[in-house]
Amino acid sequence: MHEPITDYDKVVRNCSCSYCGNNCDDITYLIKDNNIVGVRHACRLGASKIINDNDQRLLNPMVRNSEGILEETSWDYALELTAQLLHDSIRPVLYGWGETSVEAIKKGCQIAQATGSVIDNQSTICHGATIQAFQKVGHPVTTLGEVKNRADVIIYIGTNPMDDHPRHLTRYTTFPEGFFRPNGRDDRTLITIDPKYTNTAKVSDEWIQFNPNEDYSLINALRVILSGGELNTNEIAGVDKDTLYKLVETMKNTENGVIFFGLGLTQTLTKQRSVDILIQLVEDLNRYSKWSMLPMRGFFNVNGFNIAMTSETGYPYGVDFARGYPRYMIGETTTIDLLNRREPDFFLAVAADPGIQFPGYSLKHLASIPTVQIDTHWGPYTELSDIVLPSTRVGVETAGTGYRMDSIPIYMKKVIDKPENCHSDEWILTQLYNRIINLKEAG
Amino acid sequence: MDQMNVIINSGTSIIQAFYEKKGSTLKDEYRQATAVAFMDKEDMNKLGISNRDKIRVSTKWGSVVVYADISHDGPHKGMIFMPKGPWTNIVISPETYCSNIPTFKGIEATIEKTDEEVQLVADLMRSTYKKYVSDTENLESIGQKPVYKRLDNDA
Repeated sequence: MHEPITDYDKVVRNCSCSYCGNNCDDITYLIKDNNIVGVRHACRLGASKIINDNDQRLLNPMVRNSEGILEETSWDYALELTAQLLHDSIRPVLYGWGETSVEAIKKGCQIAQATGSVIDNQSTICHGATIQAFQKVGHPVTTLGEVKNRADVIIYIGTNPMDDHPRHLTRYTTFPEGFFRPNGRDDRTLITIDPKYTNTAKVSDEWIQFNPNEDYSLINALRVILSGGELNTNEIAGVDKDTLYKLVETMKNTENGVIFFGLGLTQTLTKQRSVDILIQLVEDLNRYSKWSMLPMRGFFNVNGFNIAMTSETGYPYGVDFARGYPRYMIGETTTIDLLNRREPDFFLAVAADPGIQFPGYSLKHLASIPTVQIDTHWGPYTELSDIVLPSTRVGVETAGTGYRMDSIPIYMKKVIDKPENCHSDEWILTQLYNRIINLKEAG
Repeated sequence: MDQMNVIINSGTSIIQAFYEKKGSTLKDEYRQATAVAFMDKEDMNKLGISNRDKIRVSTKWGSVVVYADISHDGPHKGMIFMPKGPWTNIVISPETYCSNIPTFKGIEATIEKTDEEVQLVADLMRSTYKKYVSDTENLESIGQKPVYKRLDNDA
């Protein structure tokens, strides 16, 4: 079944993967007749996204007819209708942006400003809590290059990179040979802290299992031990006391340690508080040795949105332009809270599928308001969309910039031509913006 | 035992992410990979279910039918792992506690064996959100391909 691919006529090297926050930029595409027939170096997920399933590719703009069936139409009609709906709405939400370039995000920000929209990205359902904690407590940051060359202890907590960032261990953290770690894997200790015996735990030197929803008490206990305190129970969060003492001892005697954390911390009950206390633990650890931490960001440019928004408006996500100037209030101007309160009267998703990402209770509101999708593939959200605008894939059919999980910008080049009637997110948003300005001027 | 109380933990699984990113969400392959509850072996024995039997997962927020499968990440008694996707979304908690993130992990649920079918994505979205239909009884399945009207260039 898995024969080597020999039938190709062009090789393009140093392409950037457009799947996760690893932004691997050492990918090789094998091309035949303007189609990618093979991918080298990418992981299973990256390769699946780059080669992709053409049966569900969106190829023409569509608008729903009176029978509730999507009907192909012209760009002119679909764009004018979208611009009109957005212009007429009072509480529009522009969501998504995780899988598009910062160039498109910048245009999206201008639309939000012109229409008084809320503009928000996937941080609102994944690492938003992390960003809140970074704002409150600070961020002992590092880059993946430093990790590769220096780190001797790697801890993954509440994340399973073998499943959602498959090359994280092999390219950046655990397996590669680094300047100060010439023997690669042999020079490093890998510890996974997770309620499940995940695929990452399976390749780790040690797996520490704790009870779901008890991450705060676990990290708190580590801080107590580190500051010289005594634990007066034998078990914290389902973890044996001796295991915790041993872990703290390992952490203190590290030369350069890094903690990677994921949605296991932010999506449980303590949310941003779990990250708060993890930052404090890293601060405490720095009295003994060098420690830093990084969030495992999901999409290839979900971090880029936070960076672009912070530089354009001062706020990282959930930015509300309803009053004409940017406001940001967690729990008030963030997408899920707005949907749960049944507030929005227009919803645009760019390069994101709320049908996959949002709780059903929040999605129910999308059944009663106009919805627009700008994306490359037919997905669950298409089944709830009134207007569908087909876009192109960044890093494959369109060039653009994405930010890696450690905030390093990476330019992603164009390799093959786009399908004839698709346009880049940037082009679609520029067209929309121009039409909205015309509508505003016409009154 | 007919029913069991469990905690739902949801997240990415590499197989689910593979089909999601490939862009084949309407197809059976995505359903097989995503509409699954990975269970502890002992819990499965207690409920008398084997691999790929169907179970109904119910929470305060909704109820959905998915396949049961044995977890290779066990033991985790009393916890089921559900890959993120349209099926899991129906049963997870939208509660953000004023911190913008819904509670995707650690939700109390009951599970029971059922003979009902696991729906394909298009059918699931139609019967759950009813955006373009008012009556969802006795509707034919939409199937695994996008349904839309092509532009007639000759007209």
